[in-house]
Amino acid sequence: MTNSEQPTPATAPPPRGKIAQLLLPGGEEPDPRFTLANERTFLAWIRTSLALLAGGIAIEAFTSGLFLEPVRKGLAVLLLLLGMMLSSGAAVRWVRVERSMRNKAPLPLPLLVPLVAGAGALAAAVVVVFILLR
Amino acid sequence: MASRNPNPHGDPGLQPERTALAWGRTMLALVTASAFFLRWLPVYGFPILMLFAVSAGAALAIYLTQRSRYRARAHGLAGESIEADLPAVLWTAFAGVALGGLGIAVVLTG
Repeated sequence: MTNSEQPTPATAPPPRGKIAQLLLPGGEEPDPRFTLANERTFLAWIRTSLALLAGGIAIEAFTSGLFLEPVRKGLAVLLLLLGMMLSSGAAVRWVRVERSMRNKAPLPLPLLVPLVAGAGALAAAVVVVFILLR
Repeated sequence: MASRNPNPHGDPGLQPERTALAWGRTMLALVTASAFFLRWLPVYGFPILMLFAVSAGAALAIYLTQRSRYRARAHGLAGESIEADLPAVLWTAFAGVALGGLGIAVVLTG
């Protein structure tokens, strides 16, 4: 088995999949502990995303006697959209962190953090305005 | 079976165990979400079953792969080489995006 792209280290790594070569090109496998830590962080974002998705469904089903329909549907869709963005953003961040670690580069700043903070503040503001105008 | 050895990889930080537990937590969150979606069946009707199917299916997929994933990681750490699990990450993220898309469809049409 030949590995023409990389200099052969002492123990030749197993061949990588096509998608892995496309999304995680170049560099070398980082410390396996870092790879596992990156995966755990990804899973933590996924669980946050799941909470928002379940919350979006609950808002629509649970608050029919509390909110006007446009407010209710707007909040539900906002939460569901945020959940979708978190899920996809978690995967993007996982790939970017993995790339940085392969190339021994500084880790990228988490764009997800201001996104979640901003959207959370927006959702809270919608509720505040609604309660004040009620 | 490798599990006879309580610490097959020799890593004092127990990284493979912590990662397996993180997958287990995610699986439980998906099971909780599945139950949650089923609970709203009377409100949303049949379409909500699509969300149940996606979250329960993702939970089942994690459950069925836990053992082999842990074994591969414990073995890989012993040899100081673990390949990043790109397919697992992409599938999990896809499940989250699908749940959101289906949820928006259900909310807007319901």
